[in-house]
Amino acid sequence: MRTHLVALAAIVVAGLLAAFGLRDAVLLDLLFTLFLYATLGQSWNWISGYAGNISFGHAIFFGCGAYAAALCVTHGLSPWLAIPLGALVAAALALVTGFPTLALRGHYFSIATIAVAALVDAFVRVSPWLGKANGFELPIAPGLANLQFADKGPYVALALVLFAVVQLATMRLERSRLGYYLRALRANHAAAASVGIDERRWKLLAFAWSAAIAAAAGVLYAQYNLFVDPPSTIALGISIDIALIGVVGGIGTLWGPAAGALVYVVLAKGVALKLGGTGKGYDLLIYGAIICLIAAWKPHGIVGSVVDALRRRRAAASETALERAA
Amino acid sequence: MSALLQVRGLAKRFGSLRALDGVDLDVEEGKLTGLIGPNGAGKSTAFSCIAGATKPSAGSVRFRGEEIAGMAYHRVARLGIGRTYQIVQTFAEMTVLEAVTTGALLRHARLADAAAHAEEVLAFVGLAEKRHRLGRILTIADKKRLEVARALATEPQLLLLDEVMAGLTPAECRDAVDLLRRILARGITVLMVEHVMEVLMPIADAIVVIAAGKTIFRGSAADAVRDPQVIEAYLGSPLEHGEIAS
Amino acid sequence: MEALTTFAQLLVGGLLAGLVFALVAVGLTLIYGVMDVVNFAHGEFLMLAMYAAFGLALVGIGPLVGLPLVAIALFLFGIVIYRLFVRRLLAGPPEATVFGTFGLLVLLQGAAQAAFSSDYLNIPHPPLQGTIRFAGIAVSQATVVEGIGALLLTGLLYVFVEFTETGRAMRAVAEDRVAATLMGIDVQRINGLAFGIGAACVGAAGSLLMLSYPVYPTAGAPFALTAFVVVALGGFGSIQGALVGAVIVGLLEVLGGYYLSPELKMVPVFLAYLVVVLLRPQGLLGRR
Repeated sequence: MRTHLVALAAIVVAGLLAAFGLRDAVLLDLLFTLFLYATLGQSWNWISGYAGNISFGHAIFFGCGAYAAALCVTHGLSPWLAIPLGALVAAALALVTGFPTLALRGHYFSIATIAVAALVDAFVRVSPWLGKANGFELPIAPGLANLQFADKGPYVALALVLFAVVQLATMRLERSRLGYYLRALRANHAAAASVGIDERRWKLLAFAWSAAIAAAAGVLYAQYNLFVDPPSTIALGISIDIALIGVVGGIGTLWGPAAGALVYVVLAKGVALKLGGTGKGYDLLIYGAIICLIAAWKPHGIVGSVVDALRRRRAAASETALERAA
Repeated sequence: MSALLQVRGLAKRFGSLRALDGVDLDVEEGKLTGLIGPNGAGKSTAFSCIAGATKPSAGSVRFRGEEIAGMAYHRVARLGIGRTYQIVQTFAEMTVLEAVTTGALLRHARLADAAAHAEEVLAFVGLAEKRHRLGRILTIADKKRLEVARALATEPQLLLLDEVMAGLTPAECRDAVDLLRRILARGITVLMVEHVMEVLMPIADAIVVIAAGKTIFRGSAADAVRDPQVIEAYLGSPLEHGEIAS
Repeated sequence: MEALTTFAQLLVGGLLAGLVFALVAVGLTLIYGVMDVVNFAHGEFLMLAMYAAFGLALVGIGPLVGLPLVAIALFLFGIVIYRLFVRRLLAGPPEATVFGTFGLLVLLQGAAQAAFSSDYLNIPHPPLQGTIRFAGIAVSQATVVEGIGALLLTGLLYVFVEFTETGRAMRAVAEDRVAATLMGIDVQRINGLAFGIGAACVGAAGSLLMLSYPVYPTAGAPFALTAFVVVALGGFGSIQGALVGAVIVGLLEVLGGYYLSPELKMVPVFLAYLVVVLLRPQGLLGRR
C-alpha cells in the first residue's frame, strides 16, 4: 500500500516536471498518449481484469466522453460539464448493455461487446445530431474555463492527474468488497454465488464505474484533439488497443495497465516515429512481436508475473516465520 | 416444532430423465443429518436443489418456514445456508485468507471487519498458518477445509456438506469429524451428503436414504442398517457391494 | 414483381456469400472445438493465403489451380505456428491465447504492410468474368464458383471430422482431453493437425476469394470479424452450427446492405447475434 502510494507520487512529480519542463511537442504527445491509455487500460481492467469479462467494445465509453465534449462545446456549454455528463451517459450505457450480457460466459460475452460497439458505431453514423460519419471539429478557444490550452504541457498534466485519481480509485477497489467480489466471480462464479455474491449486481456496478472512467478520458481526448469522429473514438481498433494494453501489462493488477500503456507508447508509437511515421508496418510488426513474446513467456503479463513471484515469496516467508515461532 | 429445513416432494427432470422423483427430508435444528444413497440415487442433485444451485422441477424446500425452491442461488446464502462442493471449487488466484474474507463480506461490509472475522474462522478450522497460500496449491484435505471455512465465514445457520470426507486419509477423516463436532457445538445445523455410510454412523443424529430419486428411509443410523428397503437399495446395485458396512 | 426479383437476387447473393463465410468459420470453430482457442489471427491467415494465391497468379498459376498448393502451404504454416507458439500459449492462463493470437494478428498485419505496402492488389487476367443468368437473376461466375467451392470444401471437412479415424480422435479430444490422453491419443499431434487444418480452410478460402477480391494487409479482418460472429451464433465448436450461422449471416449482411445501406450491413447481423445469444447463451447449435 505504502509502496504503491510512493510510486504513484514519484510518477506524478516526474510527470509534472516533464509536462512543464519539456518543450518537444512530439515527446509531450507521447506522454499524453501514455497517461490517457494507462487510464483507459485501467478502466478496462475494472470489468475485464478484476471481473474477468473481456470486453472488445470499451471504446464506446471513451466515445461517450468525447462526444459529450463535442456536444457541450458546439452547444455553447463548458466542456467541464461534459465530464459528469459523459460519465453519466457512459455509465447508463454500461448498465443497459451490461444487464443482459454480463452473465454470458467467455467468448460469448466478448463477441457481444463487439456487437454492441458496432451497433453504437452505426447509430452515431446515422444520427445527424452526432455529426454522422463526419464528426465534429471543435472551435479553438484556449483557456482553463474551456478546458483547452495553447501548449501540450497542461494537457499532459491533466491526463496525469486523471491517471493518478484512477490509480487511487483502483487501490481503493483492491481493498474493498467490490474488488474481492469481482475477483471471486472471475475465479468461480458458482462458488461466488454460494457465498451470497449477486453476480449481476456487482458486475454492473464495476461496469458502470469502468465506463465512467473511460468517458472522463474521452472528454480530455476531445479537448486535446479538437476533432471527434467515429474512427478516432469508438472504432473497433481503439477498443482492441485498450484491451491489448490491459492484457500485456497483466490483467487484474494495479500497475498492469500503466505497464501495458508504456509498452504500447514506446513500441507502437515511439518506434513508428523513429522509423519515419506509421504506414510502413514496422511499428505493428514490433508491437505484435512483443505481444507474442509476452503471451508465450510471461502469460500473466508484465506486472502479473511480478505479483505472482512476490506472492509466492510472501507465502513462504509467513510459513518460515511460523516454523521459527513454533 | 417444525424442522429448520423441510423438503417435500422434491423432483427434478433433465429432459426425459427423472433424476429426482419425490425426495422428502427434514433437518432438525442443531442436529447433524446425513443424506446417503447408492451411486446415481440423486444425492448430488437433491443437494444442489436444496442449496439453490439447481432449480427443482417440482416440490418445496422450506428453510425456517420460508419457501426457497427456485430462489436465486446467491439469495439462499444470504438467508443463512452455506455449502461446500463435492469437487472443490476454490477461488484459484486468491490466498486462503482472501477466499475466506470473501465469504465473511456477506455479513461484514467493511473489509477490515470481514478480514478479522475470516481470521477467527481460519483459526477455528485450523488453517491459520496457511493463510497466505494460494487456494489452488493446497492439499485436497486443506482445500476441503478451506471450503468449509469459506462457508462458515458467511455465518450460516445451516451448513450443507457434499462428501467432505471423500478422498481423505483415515487421519484426515478423524480431523474432519472433530471439526464437525466443533461446528455442531457452535449451534450450526448440518446436512451432510456421504457416499459411504460408515462415516456417518457415529456422528449423524438422523439419516435419510434416497434411492432412484426417492426417499426410502428416514430415521436413526442404527435403524437404517437394519431396514430391508435400504439393504435392498444398496445390494440392488451389484457394484456397490459391501459399501454399507465397509 | 421487380421487388421480388431483387429479393431473389439478394437471397442468392447472400447464400453464396454465406458459404464463403462458412469455409472461413469452420476452420475457426474446428480450432476452438479441439483446443478451446479462438484464433484471433484467423483473418490474417486468410490474408496470407490471398497473398500466396496472388503470387501464384503472377507466375501464371490461377487461383483455382493454385488452391491445393495454397491450402497445403497454410496447413504447414498452421502446424508450425502451433508447434512454436500456440502450444506455449496453452500452458498459460486462458487470456494468454486471446492476446497471443491478437499479437500474431498485429505482427502479421505489420509484416504484410512492410513487405507488400498497403496497396490493393488484384490478380492479373482474372478468370470467370462472365455472368450467369436465370429467372431474371444475374450472378457473376466468380461468385458462384466461390460459393459452391466453399460448400464442397466445408462438406469435405465435415466428412473428414465425422468419418475418419483422425477426425474421430479430434472429436474425442474436443469432448474430453484427459480421457483422450488415457485412450492413447496424442493430444499435441491432434491439436497441431486441427490448427493446420483450420489454417488450410482459410488457405482454400483465400484462393477462392482472389477470384473477385483484392488483397491488402487488412483484407482478412472483415472476414474474420464476420467469422467470429458466425461461430458464436452457431455455437463455438459446432461445424454444423458454423454452416447454419454463416448462411444466416450472409443473408442478413446482403439484405442489410441493400435495404439499409452498405455501411450498415452488419447491423442486422449483430442484432441477430445479440437476440440469439440472450435467448440461447450457448449459440444455436452449441453445447453448454
